[in-house]
Order: sequence, then C-alpha cells, then structure tokens
Amino acid sequence: MIARLSAIVRADFLLRFRRVSTAVVFLLLGAFAYVWLPPASSGRTLIQMNGHRAIYNSGAVGLGTASLGMMFVGLFGYYFISNTVRRDLHTRCGVIIASTPMRSLEYLTGKFLGNVVFLVTFLGGFMLVSLAMQVVRAEATLEPLVFLRQYLLLTPSIITLVSAVAVLFESIPRLAGKFGDVLYFFLYLGLFGLVVSNEATGGRVPWTRYLDFTGFGFMIHQLQHTLHTNEVSIGSSTFDPSLPVIIFPGLSMTRDWLAPRIAATFLPLALLPVAALFFHRFDPVKAGTGAGKTNRRWLGKLQNLIKPIARPFTALLSAPARGRSFFFAIWRDAALTFTILPVTLLAFVGISVATISAPRLSALPVIVAVVAVIISDVATRDVRAGTLPNLYAFPRLRENFVAWKFASAFFLSVILCLIPLLISSLTARVPSLLSGIFFLAATSTLLGVLTRNSKTFIVAFLSFWYLVVNDKGTSPLLDFAGFNRVATMQTAFLYTLLGSVALVCAHFTHRLRLAR
Amino acid sequence: MLAIESVSKQFRAGNYGVRDVSLAATSGVIGLLGPNGAGKTTLMQMIATVTRPTAGRILFHGTDITKRPNELRRKLGYLPQDFGVYDNLTAREFLAYFAALKGVRERKRLQEMLETVNLHGVAERPVGSFSGGMKQRLGIAQALINDPELVIVDEPTAGLDPEERVRFRNILSEIGFGRLVILSTHIVSDIESVATEIAVMKDGRLLTVAPPEDLLRTARGHVWTTTVSSDEFERLRTTAKISGAVRKPDGVHLRIVGTSPGIVATPVEPELEDAFLYLMNSNGSPPPA
Repeated sequence: MIARLSAIVRADFLLRFRRVSTAVVFLLLGAFAYVWLPPASSGRTLIQMNGHRAIYNSGAVGLGTASLGMMFVGLFGYYFISNTVRRDLHTRCGVIIASTPMRSLEYLTGKFLGNVVFLVTFLGGFMLVSLAMQVVRAEATLEPLVFLRQYLLLTPSIITLVSAVAVLFESIPRLAGKFGDVLYFFLYLGLFGLVVSNEATGGRVPWTRYLDFTGFGFMIHQLQHTLHTNEVSIGSSTFDPSLPVIIFPGLSMTRDWLAPRIAATFLPLALLPVAALFFHRFDPVKAGTGAGKTNRRWLGKLQNLIKPIARPFTALLSAPARGRSFFFAIWRDAALTFTILPVTLLAFVGISVATISAPRLSALPVIVAVVAVIISDVATRDVRAGTLPNLYAFPRLRENFVAWKFASAFFLSVILCLIPLLISSLTARVPSLLSGIFFLAATSTLLGVLTRNSKTFIVAFLSFWYLVVNDKGTSPLLDFAGFNRVATMQTAFLYTLLGSVALVCAHFTHRLRLAR
Repeated sequence: MLAIESVSKQFRAGNYGVRDVSLAATSGVIGLLGPNGAGKTTLMQMIATVTRPTAGRILFHGTDITKRPNELRRKLGYLPQDFGVYDNLTAREFLAYFAALKGVRERKRLQEMLETVNLHGVAERPVGSFSGGMKQRLGIAQALINDPELVIVDEPTAGLDPEERVRFRNILSEIGFGRLVILSTHIVSDIESVATEIAVMKDGRLLTVAPPEDLLRTARGHVWTTTVSSDEFERLRTTAKISGAVRKPDGVHLRIVGTSPGIVATPVEPELEDAFLYLMNSNGSPPPA
C-alpha cells in the first residue's frame, strides 16, 4: 500500500512541479514576500497595532507571512489542486487505475497526500522566502524555530481541509465542475465567518473552535490575549513613525487550544471515506463520460427541462446572424451559450424578474455574480471541446480570437442584463453597469486565454466581488458595476481602462502563441 | 480461463450497450470485431471490471469478477480506447507509476518492457513529445508490466500510421503466447493475422465466435469478383455490397459480397473482410457454417 501511495504522490508532485504555472506561482511568492515586508523607511509595514509598528523579528514576520499564506491556501489553494482526479479521467489513465487492485480509498488517500505535499511545499517555499526577507531587513536576530512555530500553529488545518475537500468534490461528479468551484468559495467564507465572529464575541460557542480549519479563530484569540487589542493589521499597511515600535514574540500554543487545533487538522480526514463512497472509480456511466451517459446531475436535469423552451429562443436570437461577417460570428457565439447551457435562459428570466421586483436595483450584486459565472467559460470552452482547430479554419477567427471571444462575452452579458441596463438608464447608473460588464467580459477573456480554464476567472472574480460587497460603498473606486451606488464617472473610466488593458494583454498573448 | 455468461449492460435511459452476450475463452488472441457503436468497448470495460454488467456473470478461473473484481485485477493488463498520457512524465516515470500501482517492484521489469515495445532509447523523454504510435506502445507496456494472464486492448490502432500499425500488430502477436488477449477493433486487417478466434458484435449482441477459417467458410460462395466500367461501378455502389474496388486500365476490379452479385461475376475465395461484411449484412444472425 505504501508503494502505491508514494507512487501517486510522486507522480502528482512531478506533474505539478513541471508545469510553468507552478514556477510562476513560486516566482510570485518571492515578489509577495518582498512587497509584504517593506523597509520601515517606506512608511509601510507588515504588522501594525494601533499605529505601532511591530519590529521585523521572527515572531512577527512568521505570524504575518503564515497568516497570509494560510489565507492564500484557503482561498486559492483549492483551485490549484482540484484537478488531479479530473486529469486521470480526461487522459483515461483513470480507467487503467480502475482495472488495478488499488482500492478506491487507497487511490483517494494518495490524491489527498499529493495535495498535502503540494501545499506544504508551496507554503514551505513561501516560508523560506519570508525567512530570507527577515534576514534582508536585518531588524532582529533570526530565530528559525520561532518562525517555523507560527507556520505549524496556523497552517496544517487549512492544508488538510483544502486537500480533503478537493478530493471529496472531485469524487462527486456534480461537485467536480463549476458548481463545486463556487460552492467551495462560499464554504470557505462560511467557515471563516463562523470562527471569526465567535472569537470576536469572546468565544461564546466553544465547539466552533474545533471547526477552526482556517486558523483565524486561533490567531484572533491569541492576538487578543497577548496584545490586548482588536486593532491589528496584517499585510502591507501604514503606521505612525512617531509611536514606539513593539516587539511581538509570536504565537504560542495554549492548553485550551491544543485539542481544537489537533481536531481541526485531522477532522478533514473524515471526508476521505465519504469521498470513497461517492467515487465513480472512473466507471464511464457513473462519471458521465462513456457510452449511454445520462446527465444525472440536477443541473443536467434542469437543462433538459429548459431545452424545449430555450430552443425557440436560441433560434430567434440566432435568426439575424445569417451572414459570414465577423459581427455575425460574435452574435452566433453569444447565442451558442443558450444552446450549450439552456439554464442561461432561466438566468435571463430570473435577472429580469429580480430587477423589476427588487427596489432600486438592490439585486445587482447577485445579478453581476450570475453573469460572471455564465460568461466565465466563453473564452475557454473551445479549448476544452477541442474545436479550436476547426474554428481557426474560419475567416478572421484565428487572428481575432480575443476580440471575438470578448465581444461574444460582452454581448451575452448585455443580453442577460438587458432589463437592469434599461432600469439603470433611468437612474443614471448605466455607465457604471456597462463599464462593469465590459471589465468582466475583458478579464474573463484575458484569464481564459492565459490559463485555458474558467477557474481562474471565477476565483479572481468571487474574491474581488466579496471585497466590493463588503466594502459597502466606502470606496467609490471599488464599486466597479455600480451596485454600491457610489460609483462615479472616474470609476467607470477606471474599469473601462483596466478592461482595455486586459484585452490588449490577451490579444498579445494569443498572437504570441500563434507566432510560436 | 474466462467465461462470460448472458452479460448485459442496460443504461439508465433504457437502451442497451451490450445485450445477452455469452463467450468462453482459454488462451490465444480473440479479435472482437464490430462496427462503431456495436458495444465492443462496453463489453471490454465490463471484462476489465471498470463498469459492472446490469445482468449476467463474468467468471475468471471460476470466480465471479462482478462480485470479486480484485481476483481478476491482479492478473489483468488493460489498454483502453483513446488512451492518454501524463505529458510531463518521462516514459520510464510513467511506466514506473503504473508498475507501482500494480504492485510490480522489480526495476529490471521496467527496462524489459521498454525494450519489448522498443522505447528504451527514448525512456527519459517526456511522453508529451511522443507520436501516437509511441504512446500506444507505452500503453501496451503498462498493460504488460505485471505479466498479466488476461490482456484487454481496445481499438489500439485507431489513428496510427500503417508502419506503426504493423509494428503494433507484431507486438500483439508476440504477447499472445500463453495468455488470453482480447483485442477489439473495427478494422479487419488488425486481427486477421493475429487472432486465433474472432467474435463479431453488432448492436450490442454477439453474432458469432469462431476461428477465422470458420468465418471464411461461412462466406464461401458469397464473394465474387468482376471488372466493370466506371459508370457501372457507380450503379453497383448503390445496389451491391462491395468489399473492394481497384481502378485499373481495363476498368474497376470489384469484390462483391452477397448471395447474388447482380452482375456477371466469378466466385472467389473469401477474405476476412468479405466474411465480416457478409455477417454484418445477414440481418444480425450468423449464416449457417
């Protein structure tokens, strides 16, 4: 069994670390560490408390970088690692694995360990770069064990949670795709909110500490008790140079947190038998990949129900696009979404009804999120379906792929937001909504062209969307689609500009690939 | 060694992938022949324990593998249709991975297999840079790495060039000694030189299982050859079942399969392609031998 597990872990490790994207992430880590530990002379610092700057000793740098790494793994780690079972499914190597004596639980445990090894290596690399940055800043003696302690106290639980949830979601066909990607985001936020709100109110519900997979509950509690303040800022932030610096010794384990931290680290392992229970073991019927496949997912059933209604709508929408011009190619691609994903019609109806029934466009945040999820794969679906070579044979599409896909996503967004746009035109919010849609279509095209999957855009968008929703209108510049009602003409201009830059980048990336 | 008893696979939509198939085999190469959609892959997947039959039993050395799949999995080598690879691994790493999953520990076995499939010279190259034929040879190497008693190879020559196809056929004929090899294909020439028995499937049903000589015998008296003009050829294309046509200076030389050629023609000895066509057009029931 050990030989099989280590073979899976080794193969996953080699496959991941030979990817260019992994090298890029590791390079970015170095850049992040540099940015997050600015010199004191810059007026910014990694940790500040009530304006006091925490000196760059191993406790402070370890805590600051470990908490940022923990957040990065929690928010984005899932999207990096949740493709390993899918890879076996798509290459059909999984079918070979299914014909070996390897048990399903054994295979999934191997995949889980592979995920853990990747995330540990990732955080290990980040820790080493941060450690090196502490030496570069030379404000205090390096204490490697204190540094390591911060990482060991904070990160193991999120590593095991992300690794186990990725395996679980990949084992359940209905959670293995876009739905699982969105669900994970809200699962993480839910767990985060649960422990943070509990600690903010004095830890009144003790059992939630056992669900502190994100590590934030423990961190907040420890900071409250060692520093006696709630005003701690981690991440590059400003401080008051006139105030004396403080020396933060770092986090330590206390008796009351020992059991919760151990439980939070090992509880996710319970997800593995659940994953094995649902695992399709690459059976083409269960995985929905082979002959006689039936779309058993609830979304598939819903799609089948809507199809008869969507068909005439799509025909109506496609009717004017009869010519061979580039414009009609855009039109057809936008209409194609309704054919591929008939539930888009339901979204169109839902958006229209919600806009009319909700006062003052209050449903706009949800509407924008729905539109973003729907357009997320416009730029990537041809790569996934293997139809790109056929499309490139059509006039102008090869060279103008980026313009074509962007325009299709933008056009589709405009169709979906037709009623919100009409209503916002009555309230003078139409420029911000239009620029928001433009920005979304452009960034989804850029990230789709760069990564060739829709995941990156969904994660980036949801993180940004969460930030904007929680900003509640404090920063007009963040209000990209005008749903906080504070967007100005400058905001609209900013996001139009950012969208344009994204399009230029996407276009040059595409042309560079073609030239190769 | 292998006994398939009234096996069916019915999908949730109600349609059958495989219907009431029975087959017994001991050793040698069984060629599973049938048009696309005949149910060959579904049958292969059921034998390989990848998917379960909805009715019937599959026995391996007397053990029902639908209930105890690991009894077969330990002695199975499987190369699925449209087999892909992990592009970033080298051929040796790829093979070592599957060797470990199958519990093979001897490192020299890897080298033996790489030499068997003639990939030892490129063992350290990423498999993403391999041609389709090289990938298929790597696929057969992983299937054989555990020295299996039963080898299942599903449409292995699809997409290969003629040279690679011949090379692959040679490998299959070499590995057929002392074990049972089930090879599915819709290309008759893939199996005519290597198969000791041929099973023909159509619409999920098994039409016949017989040695190639017996299949040839069934088509005897139903294959004709003639030479016609181009115009006549165009007319015959719609009315007769033509198994071969070669344009020559004196006209188009045809092989026609059927009870009557519908034109003046000379009866000839059938080839396997003719026999297969004859079976496919006998309304699902094999003609009397």
